[in-house]
Amino acid sequence: MAQLPPQTIQRDPQLFYWILFPITVVMILTGILRHYATVLMASPPKKVEQPALKEQRSLMHGVAVRSNFHVLTAPSFKARREFLTTAFESGAYLKDPERRGQPPANPMTDPGAMDGMMGMMKNNMAMMVPNTLIMSWINTFFSGFVILKLPFPITIKFKSMLQAGVATKEMDPRWMSSISWYFLCYFGLQFVFNFLLGSDNAASQMAQQMQGMAPQAPNMFGPGVDADKQFQAEAENLAVIKHYSVLDDVEQRLLEGIKTR
Amino acid sequence: MASSLLRPPGHLSPATALQLSQQAPIIIKNSPGAVTASALSSLFSAPETPELWTIYENLLLSCLRTGDEESAHLCLGRLVNRFGDDNERVMALIGLMKEADATDDATLEVVLKEYEALLQENPTNIPIVKRRVALLRSIGRIPDAVTALTGLLDFSPTDSEAWSELSDIYFSQGLYSQAIFALEEVLVLQPNAWNIHARIGELLLMSVKSGSGDQNDSAKQLGEALKRFCRSIELCDDYLRGYYGLKLVCFYDPPYRPSKAVGLTSRKTTTQLLNDPPKPPKQAESDGLAPPNLSTLQKLDGLATEKLGEITRRFTAGEKGLAGL
Repeated sequence: MAQLPPQTIQRDPQLFYWILFPITVVMILTGILRHYATVLMASPPKKVEQPALKEQRSLMHGVAVRSNFHVLTAPSFKARREFLTTAFESGAYLKDPERRGQPPANPMTDPGAMDGMMGMMKNNMAMMVPNTLIMSWINTFFSGFVILKLPFPITIKFKSMLQAGVATKEMDPRWMSSISWYFLCYFGLQFVFNFLLGSDNAASQMAQQMQGMAPQAPNMFGPGVDADKQFQAEAENLAVIKHYSVLDDVEQRLLEGIKTR
Repeated sequence: MASSLLRPPGHLSPATALQLSQQAPIIIKNSPGAVTASALSSLFSAPETPELWTIYENLLLSCLRTGDEESAHLCLGRLVNRFGDDNERVMALIGLMKEADATDDATLEVVLKEYEALLQENPTNIPIVKRRVALLRSIGRIPDAVTALTGLLDFSPTDSEAWSELSDIYFSQGLYSQAIFALEEVLVLQPNAWNIHARIGELLLMSVKSGSGDQNDSAKQLGEALKRFCRSIELCDDYLRGYYGLKLVCFYDPPYRPSKAVGLTSRKTTTQLLNDPPKPPKQAESDGLAPPNLSTLQKLDGLATEKLGEITRRFTAGEKGLAGL
C-alpha cells in the first residue's frame, strides 16, 4: 500500500496570535485569579469555645493516657484510670452536659456545620464558574478552528479528544482544535502555576479534584458526632487495659544492652 | 547559626544568645521587612517562608534576653505588620515586650490587668494565659499562678508545656508528689522524653532526701527513681544527668539508718553502701517497683561510674557533640 501523502492544511499564521495565544494567557490568568479569590474567600478558622475545646482536649488526653500508659507506674496509672473513667462516664467534660443521651443535632441546623459546607460550596463555585465562562467563550468565538499540528504522530483514538468541535472524519488526529487546546491547558498548566504561585496554590483544578477524590478522614470532632458516646467508649478502653510499665526490669534490660554492645 | 534561630531559644546558652542578638541588626537588615500581598510583586519576589517569621520570633526572644530592646522592637514591629496585633501569638509577644519594658511593679500590674481584660474577651487565648501565669510567678504571686495554670490545664489537658511549668512551680514550693504527678502527665503526652524521665528520678530522689514519707515510701520512691534513671539512659545512651542520677541513687545514704545516727562517717564509700543496701528488698513487690538486688545495684553503679568517667574525659578533651550535655 502506498504511503499516504501527509495532509497539509493551509493555516493562517494569525491563528496563533489570535486564538492559541489568547486561550493560553486567559487560562493562566484565570488560574491566578482563582488562587487569589480562594485566598480572599477563605474564612479564618473559627474560634473554638472553651467548653468545646475542653471536650476535645479531654478526649485527646484520654487517648494519650490509653496509648502511653506504659510510662506510668502501676499506682499512678490506677489513680488516673479511676479518675478518668469516672469523669468520662459521668460526662464531666461534655460541652453541654444537659444534652446527654439525646441524639446528635441535625448537622444542617448547626451553624458550625453550615460554615464548613459553605466553605466547600465556595470552593466548588470558584472552580465551576470560571470554567463554564471560559468554555462558553471559546465555544462562541473559536469553535471549529484547527489551530495546531502536533509534532508527533498519534493514533486515531485521540481524534475525539483533540478534534472536539471539528467534525471532519478523514483529518489526521495530529491536528488540534481550539477547544482541545483549552482542555490541554486545563489539565497541563499545574506546573506553570506551581512555578508562579508556589506549590500549595489553589489555581489548579486538577489538584482540587484529586483532593475531592481522596477518602476523607473521619472527623473526630465534627458535627453530628456524639461526644458522649466517644467518651463512653474511651472509658471502656481505659478500663480494659492490662497495665505494664516500661520501668519493669528496666535495669536488667540496661545491663544486658550494655553487655551485648 | 540560622538553624539555631529556627528553634525556640530556651535551650541556648547565654553565650549563644548573646552572639545571636549581637547579629540581630544585620539579620534584620538582610531579611525582608514585609512580604507584600499584591499579586504582581509576588510573581517576582522570593516566596514567603514560615521560617522567616520563626526567625523573627526567636530573634526577638534572644534580644530581650540580652537586653537589646531596640532590635527586639524592630522584630516585633515586623511581626505585627505581618500578622496584625490581634493574632494570639503576636499578642503574647507584645505583652512580653511590655513586661520587658516595665521598670517597676506598678507597670507590671498594668500589664497584668491588660492580660486579664484580654482573657475576659477570649478565655481560650492560650498564649496570653501562659504569659499571665509567667508574670504572676515572676512577681511572686505563686498561688495565683498555680490557680491560673490549673485553670488552663482543666480545659486543655494536652498541653505538655503547661504541665511541666506546673511541675516546676510545685517543685519550687517543695510539693514533690504534685510535681511528680505533673511530670507524669508530660510523659503521658511525650512518652519518650528522656529528660523528663530523669527529672522525675531527680524529684523522687529529692523527695526521699527531704524525708517526708516513712521508710516504706522512701524505699519505693528510691526504687522508682532508679528505674526512671535507667529508662532515661535506655532512651539516650550518653545522657549525663541519667548516669549522674543513677550514681546518686546507688550512692544514696538514707538518713534514717541507725549507722548514720551513730555517726560513723558522713560520706560513705559506694562499696560500704552496697554491702548494706539502703533498700530492704522485700517491699513493694506488688507495684512492680521491687528494688533490684545487690549485684544488680553493684553492676549499675559500676556502669554509671565508668560512663561518667568516660563523659568527663571526653568533655575535658573538648570533644564536641556529646548528646547528653
